[in-house]
Amino acid sequence: MSSATALPPRGMLRIATDATLDKLLSGRGIWPAVPAIVVLAAVAVIPFGILLSLGFSDIAVERGAIISQTFTLDYVRTALADPLTFTVFQRSMVLALSTMLLCLFFGYPVAYLFLIGGPWVRRLILVLTIAPLLTSGIVRTYAWLVILGGRGLVNNTLIEIGLIERPLRIINTHWAVLIGMAQIHLPVMILPLIAVMSRHDRRLDEASANLGASRLGTLVNVILPLSVPGIGTGAALVFTISYTTFVVPQLLGGGNYLNAATMIYEQVVYSLEWSKGSVSSMILMATCLVVLVFIALITNHFTRWTKGREA
Amino acid sequence: MTPRRQLADTLAIGAILAVAVVALILLVAPSIVVVIISFDTRAYVSFPPVGFTLDWYAKVFEETALVEAMLNSLQVGITVTGLCILLGVPTALVCVRGRFPGTTALSVFVLVPHMVPGIVLGVAVLFAGALVGVGPSIYLQSLSIAVFVLAVMVRTVMSRLQRLDPALEEASANLGASPFQTLATVTFPLLLPAILAGAVFTFVEGFDNLSVAIFTHGFRDRPLPVELLALVQTTNTPLVAAVSGVQIVLAIVALVIVAATIGLDRVNE
Amino acid sequence: MHEPVDANADLLTPPVLSIGGVTKRFGPLTVLDRCSLDVAEGEIVTLLGPSGCGKTTLLRCIAGFWAPDAGTITIDGADTVRVPVNRRPVGVVFQSYALFPHLTVAKNVAYGLRMRGMAKADIAARVARALETVALSDFAGRYPAQLSGGQQQRVAIARVLVLEPRVLLLDEPFNALDAKLRGAMQVDLRQLIKRLGITAIFVTHDQEEALTMSDRIAVMRAGRIEQLAPPEEIFDHPATAYVADFIGSSNFWQSHAEGGRVNLPDGQSAPSHRAGDVTIMVRPHNLAIRPGEDGPLKGAVGFQRNIGALVEYHVATDGGGTVRVMAMRQERGRSIADGTRVTLSILDPNLCAVYEPQ
Repeated sequence: MSSATALPPRGMLRIATDATLDKLLSGRGIWPAVPAIVVLAAVAVIPFGILLSLGFSDIAVERGAIISQTFTLDYVRTALADPLTFTVFQRSMVLALSTMLLCLFFGYPVAYLFLIGGPWVRRLILVLTIAPLLTSGIVRTYAWLVILGGRGLVNNTLIEIGLIERPLRIINTHWAVLIGMAQIHLPVMILPLIAVMSRHDRRLDEASANLGASRLGTLVNVILPLSVPGIGTGAALVFTISYTTFVVPQLLGGGNYLNAATMIYEQVVYSLEWSKGSVSSMILMATCLVVLVFIALITNHFTRWTKGREA
Repeated sequence: MTPRRQLADTLAIGAILAVAVVALILLVAPSIVVVIISFDTRAYVSFPPVGFTLDWYAKVFEETALVEAMLNSLQVGITVTGLCILLGVPTALVCVRGRFPGTTALSVFVLVPHMVPGIVLGVAVLFAGALVGVGPSIYLQSLSIAVFVLAVMVRTVMSRLQRLDPALEEASANLGASPFQTLATVTFPLLLPAILAGAVFTFVEGFDNLSVAIFTHGFRDRPLPVELLALVQTTNTPLVAAVSGVQIVLAIVALVIVAATIGLDRVNE
Repeated sequence: MHEPVDANADLLTPPVLSIGGVTKRFGPLTVLDRCSLDVAEGEIVTLLGPSGCGKTTLLRCIAGFWAPDAGTITIDGADTVRVPVNRRPVGVVFQSYALFPHLTVAKNVAYGLRMRGMAKADIAARVARALETVALSDFAGRYPAQLSGGQQQRVAIARVLVLEPRVLLLDEPFNALDAKLRGAMQVDLRQLIKRLGITAIFVTHDQEEALTMSDRIAVMRAGRIEQLAPPEEIFDHPATAYVADFIGSSNFWQSHAEGGRVNLPDGQSAPSHRAGDVTIMVRPHNLAIRPGEDGPLKGAVGFQRNIGALVEYHVATDGGGTVRVMAMRQERGRSIADGTRVTLSILDPNLCAVYEPQ
């Protein structure tokens, strides 16, 4: 192929500094990630270290700034000896674990419907699952105030059909918190389950049916074991946010309902007991981690088939 | 299969699907109830509503505190998104393309702040700021939420990057493009849908986040979730429902953007 | 093992591409072991071998995606090992074609010209001509996803040809096409490359493709070039038992050579440049098959299959082992039934190859 205008030689337009820029932008070295690493270190890693140190110190706070800090184990000792600490964390733990189980109970059938459903069913499930995640948590909690409130949907309906005469007190109870939490965190359980289901090989179900299994048999013996990774991810996510959430217990539990997060909020923002708050935060993280490790161990046990051939 | 077992099977599967349908209704019903309430003419929240009015929506935009809170949250959302793009996209490139030991460690490191409860991150940032004399402000709030959700952007871009045929970039180099030109003309355009999807989620988090924000927001620049929390606790009018209605409309817009850019079925990746 | 093939002897013009002793290691693994190869102007050389033989590695070294650990790669006499990928006069057609999905056909073809900062009008003219060359002018505005596999391949070729590369590298370009289309595309592509007079290196694991496309074939094994020769010579006179086994089908016997001659299993003898224990190779079509037992190489037909005009018999010989014989199929099915006792004889003893014992 000859032409009137000759081809310019390769690389003519490159400027001198371009080479350095090229090296930086090729993504082969660590440099492009350095800003993120610095920011994460400054705004996450170092603060976590400081949080840890505050739990072991006596501090003086003046106008929102820490002016002195001395080492002490008092706060850790007090917190661990305080029966309130135990009650609050136990309550949070029970609440988070039961939310997790409720979400699994309602979420897994949705994932199964996603698996056997056609493209329109799948699209509907995706929209209904993702839309709430894009809506504010406060808005979704507020909805439950409307439904469960004294003059809300449930009470009005019950009075209407004559089951009760005076409104039931549903809001500001443990049950209101559990119901609201389970509904609000349901999408978080469904998403990882759907991810597993969309990768599920439906020929396995056909093979199972061909070998004589009923639909329930296939669900229990083929689909369920293969979806354990999704269950593990979903359970871990729902547990973490339920265990550490602030909005739902604050709004649906009423002023006296304390869970770990609302307790930390009161300690830090209202009573300005920062060392206490630090200790509570550390207990929160530590206990959360224990449960997550436990969930990971169970998941691993049931997903031994994913491990490669042993040498 | 015997007819009896067949019947048992049908009943069991039917029960499971019934639970699924109930769950799907549960997912949207509360939001629908809120939207219905927001048009009620009564000055207190009750269901079912007795009339229809748009007054509460008008009120939302008359309340200066609410409007200011919305503008604050808008600013936080935009800042968070910008920070996440600037910090996250290059990091994702390095995590996938890096040719040095420790790329895996880096990708785990980036995820750490997202795995820590938001409330703990908020407390930690507040205390660290106090130690060096940086008080809570809209900037501290934006920065800490950005750190909290950076993982979302990195993960979204990484998964798209991993699915790209490496031959595309090799082809670009072979056709005479410098690494920078390859990045600008091939890699970046192909990553754009993922960046946009990541931007939607980081914006929503910046706009709606409460767990980090309650500890780091400025006392005069209250963001919408903080303002809304106070409003829910102090008033019993459908005003909150109207604010919720506005947010639900915004969520639908975000959903449409996600569906149009990466497709809903890719959200999980 | 024998020494690497020296290919520099039989070229009359100075080579466009010259590869000298290229070695590439990945950790403890030597993927390329002192590969040498000269390619003349306008020549099509195929790198042929099973997966893992190093053929793609050699191609990637020439393109500059990987740097060899030792050896030289020169193009028109200039060393290119240190030249960055984007400044080598080499065009690559990738196995996946690697068409940019977000650019139209025309923009894909224009890409390389744009990267060189060419004027828009010149780009348009060149792109139009390149698309004409591959008969895709009507598809300029389409996106790659809207094209068939064959059309995508032609875009990938036009995209590199428009840059007038000195060497064209094709990495298994027919892999993504279905079997029926391949044959026609092979002929088309060879004719196009020949018409434009481009020097090309072609990588494949398919011997038929190699025989169709190449002026010369380099058969590779474990990082080395076993034989470098024109297709007919590779087929008729394979240099090693490995090449014979890889190209076409072959029968092997162990035998003994003395005084420049080797004994063949059917009682004849053939000239031999080796002495002592040897392996001899006989192609299936160099064997005759007849019913009855009137020679030293006897057996029974165990299996037969029709391949178009030919029949392939698998004969279980009395000495043990199976011998494959290719014969013209008789009209009206006068073929030899399974189980029939048969005698085999070699048609042309001079076409038997003699190798070191295995």
